[in-house]
Amino acid sequence: MQSQVRFFLKCLFLIILLAGGNVSAQEATLLSGEVMDVTNSEPLPGANIYWENDISTGVAADLDGKFQIKPVSLPARLVVSYIGFEKSIRTITQNDLDKELRFFLKPEEMSLDEIIIMERRPDEQVKNLETGKSTIPMETIRNIPALFGEVDLLRSLQLLPGVQTAGEGTTGLFVRGGSNDQNLIQIDGAPVYNASHFFGFFSVFNPDALDQVELYKGNMPASFGGRLSSLIDVTLKEGNNEQIHGEGGIGSISSRLTINGPLFSDKSTFVVSARRTYADVFLKLSKDEDLQNNKLNFHDLSGKFSFLLGEKDKLTFSTYQGSDFLGLDEAFGLGWTNWVSSAQWNRNISDKAFFDLQAYHSKYNYRVEFDDPDNGFEWNNKLSETGIKGQWTLLQSESLQTYWGFHSQYYHFAPIELLPAPNSNILPISTNPKNGILNNLFAGLTYEISPKLSTEAGLRWGLYNQVGRGVDYLYSTESPERSEDITDSVNYNTLENIKFYQGLEPRIAFRYLINEQFSIKTAYNRNFQYVQIASNSSAGLPIDRWILAGTYVPPIRADQVSVGLFHNFDENRWEFSIEGYYKDFRNIIDLKNGANVLFNDNVETEILTGNGWAYGAEFLLRKNIGKTTGWLAYTYSRTWRKIEGISEGQAYNPRYDRPNDITMVLNHEFSSSWSAGLTFVYTTGQAVSFPIGTYIADNQTLPLYSDLRNEDRYPNYHRMDASVTWKNPDKGRKWRGSWNFSVYNLYGRKNPFAYEFREIYNDDLNYDQSKDGPIVSSRPGIVMTYLFTFLPSITYNFQF
Amino acid sequence: MQRLWIYLLAISLLSCQEEVDLPLATIDGVVPVIEGTWTDWNSYNEVRISLAQNYFDTTARRVISDARVFISIPGSGKIIPFSYRPESFSFRPVNPREVAKVGETYQLFVEWEDKVFSSKGLMLEAPTVDSLTYEYQEERLFREAGYYIKVYGKIPFEKDNNYRIRVIENDTLKNDRDDYLLFDDTFGLTFFEEGLELGYAFEPGDRVGLELYRMNRDMFDYFTQLVNLLFSDGGLFSPPPQNPDTNIKLLKGESEVLGFFLVSPVLRESIFIRRDK
Repeated sequence: MQSQVRFFLKCLFLIILLAGGNVSAQEATLLSGEVMDVTNSEPLPGANIYWENDISTGVAADLDGKFQIKPVSLPARLVVSYIGFEKSIRTITQNDLDKELRFFLKPEEMSLDEIIIMERRPDEQVKNLETGKSTIPMETIRNIPALFGEVDLLRSLQLLPGVQTAGEGTTGLFVRGGSNDQNLIQIDGAPVYNASHFFGFFSVFNPDALDQVELYKGNMPASFGGRLSSLIDVTLKEGNNEQIHGEGGIGSISSRLTINGPLFSDKSTFVVSARRTYADVFLKLSKDEDLQNNKLNFHDLSGKFSFLLGEKDKLTFSTYQGSDFLGLDEAFGLGWTNWVSSAQWNRNISDKAFFDLQAYHSKYNYRVEFDDPDNGFEWNNKLSETGIKGQWTLLQSESLQTYWGFHSQYYHFAPIELLPAPNSNILPISTNPKNGILNNLFAGLTYEISPKLSTEAGLRWGLYNQVGRGVDYLYSTESPERSEDITDSVNYNTLENIKFYQGLEPRIAFRYLINEQFSIKTAYNRNFQYVQIASNSSAGLPIDRWILAGTYVPPIRADQVSVGLFHNFDENRWEFSIEGYYKDFRNIIDLKNGANVLFNDNVETEILTGNGWAYGAEFLLRKNIGKTTGWLAYTYSRTWRKIEGISEGQAYNPRYDRPNDITMVLNHEFSSSWSAGLTFVYTTGQAVSFPIGTYIADNQTLPLYSDLRNEDRYPNYHRMDASVTWKNPDKGRKWRGSWNFSVYNLYGRKNPFAYEFREIYNDDLNYDQSKDGPIVSSRPGIVMTYLFTFLPSITYNFQF
Repeated sequence: MQRLWIYLLAISLLSCQEEVDLPLATIDGVVPVIEGTWTDWNSYNEVRISLAQNYFDTTARRVISDARVFISIPGSGKIIPFSYRPESFSFRPVNPREVAKVGETYQLFVEWEDKVFSSKGLMLEAPTVDSLTYEYQEERLFREAGYYIKVYGKIPFEKDNNYRIRVIENDTLKNDRDDYLLFDDTFGLTFFEEGLELGYAFEPGDRVGLELYRMNRDMFDYFTQLVNLLFSDGGLFSPPPQNPDTNIKLLKGESEVLGFFLVSPVLRESIFIRRDK
């Protein structure tokens, strides 16, 4: 639309010129300049240039976007305007007369009140077939007040109904009763195994590098699978094919830069993006000498390269690499790295037939080093997934679209290796590798049965083999309970079959359009998952042990039914939805008391298996259009687990079960310079176990816990964050900057991060016998740890 | 590893602490706690029985003195009776010459009110401690400067390698949660032959005693779980808190029971730290 307008204006201007219209005068004292489109530096012929206090003196830019205007009494404000672009006003002084001024105008669509700030249709939520799918435009994510000013994709998704967080500040997602490892997080189609930095407090996504994100909480298309609870499909930006552009930011803890533009020609583009923290600098400023020698940092690097091979073919390569490192006093180091790469070939076979082929490789590894003369070691682990996926899509008619394809995945979980340092007295440890091949066939269709009734149906068939090289252990007991019960082991050669599972995963959804503003949708879907984390802590750690389905660990399964009512009103300015769901989990795992899974080659002896279920209702009121945008969401949900050996075999709530969850997100644009964001979160406290008493054993005063798990609750959690953004009034310069000031936990709520139940000596929480003298009193106490009360941060963002 | 994460978090997060009050549930009924220790040293052999109490209860703990306690050797018909000793608040063998012998399995019985509790343990052979040495060390990561003791010994066993070392400094048992030195053969046992360094900085003039226990696996797991519980901060990075799995079973009646029955040899050594070394 915008280009059409521009074309029309160009033609009009040409006609005016040919008709002999002279829009500028040639005088020595004139002010000269050039007007261009900031997105591609193309000239804007016909742009209006005039003095603010004397409109009659106006001129128009020529075909090259150049102009000359007679100056008035300086200094004075010069206005540059063009239809479809934001007006630029710059104060001109006498000094500017000697210069060739350049004005870069910004397309107006992002600031017009009635233009939708999103990629989808205004009535999409009513008319599409997708249930349990949420999107947040990247522009909205950037405006949400952020912890440390770090705009965070996953933390923003936590503000959607049906998505819970593990706890204060963390980025783990718990979607509709599923645990954190049940989310398939992928970048351009390749999975990311540890999507967090800094022990979960930041996610790996640099917001400047992202194009869009889609969250499927339920009925994901049959072309996706492998995880039970959600798909978080992140797409990296593609570069523009006209000119180099960049954007970035300098924040409280990190800085970032993204550059994009044409590569070789206008048929190929690139984007490269980088982010790095500088917490190390702050550690060096510490008065504590121990902290000065520590290192703490993470970085992200990503790139995307696209090539148009003709009118029908396109090749895209994407890669992401991110690392964390923690070093203590040159003697201890912990680092972990994700490296994800994918290549995609898109072919338009015809106007109605398409083919997409994708290959990817995702690798995650961690490394722990301890430099000690007696007990030094290096501990490594690596896991990877390699896959290829092909999909054909056929648009038979306006009412029927079909797709089918294959997806093959190879999992390789390398041995966990602990290698002693030279002269170290400890022995090396190495577990056996675990490998799996998952071949999937899928097909689906979207069919409009009648103008009101549509369906989306799909089927995914997963064929899974745990394969060698590897070892399986045989036990004297019916199920593996103790390492001591191992009677024999069986070695398998490379790719030799160890255990086979298969599963059909049907997905079906219906939408009935009551009228243009109302629709009802219902869906059923089944998912199998063949990889999972063996852990019983709520937050993910970089050294978490991933395990594959095998002889003793069956794949986990989830069935979900959902029904929703979707309503748009006030000409699609507002969206309202209610969705209810019920989800059934099978073969989910938990760990035994005191389980050791890190160096264990027979993890199956540490695992307990059972079932679970979750249900809930999600309410969402959302406004996407206008100066004020945002949403208000309320979720009532419950999550249950029932695993023999835990909580006396009775149903219990996992820690992230939070019946009531309210979120409010508001963004308001006060003017072209000022905007503000406000976020409020309220949730039921985490389900936890508090002690009911104490007892003495081995000269220790120990808390006594009930055998029933998570019968208690933390206090309810609530928090408000706010941010203000100031953009430099557009002076038409190419460099555009903005300042963002945000406060996390505006009113300083002390939300508990942890409670310790311990003896308090001498009425001093931090009593230290070596410094504080003898113990004169002792009593049981509860010590609460809390984080991030009133945490301000400032970020400078820029574009060029 | 638990301590490591706490340290990492402490340095990396902006955290604060304060004491709070929370409504806690209370114990329903009585929960006996049995701590049985049966070794090859008479002075260690005792059975303590007490009751758990509500979390904020600061009254003196109730010690059970009216139980019937004995140890039997299954298959032999032999009974080793215990009697209550008020001076130690515990039950001790009536015949102080009775001690654990290597290779024997012992079964503890505690009869209290209408309940009978029992547990078994095998007396294992002790490893060898050849010598203790000490050396001054400069400050290192997690270790301050001072005199550090190394224990040299031999562990020739193929299985049941579950050990605990207790350290006594100038007649005071080191008994903090940091003081549980537990090891098995996960990382091999070469370090014991090459010299196992105790993680304490001693000063000249200190007399340091060492006790080495070789335990059955259930007791090793008990102490491991106990240490995990002591370090549990209830946070996201901790597993859900659970009581250590007791090896004591209820044979008769209805009751919960806590505690342990430890059957182990005890190797005792001591050393005096001299300035001139």
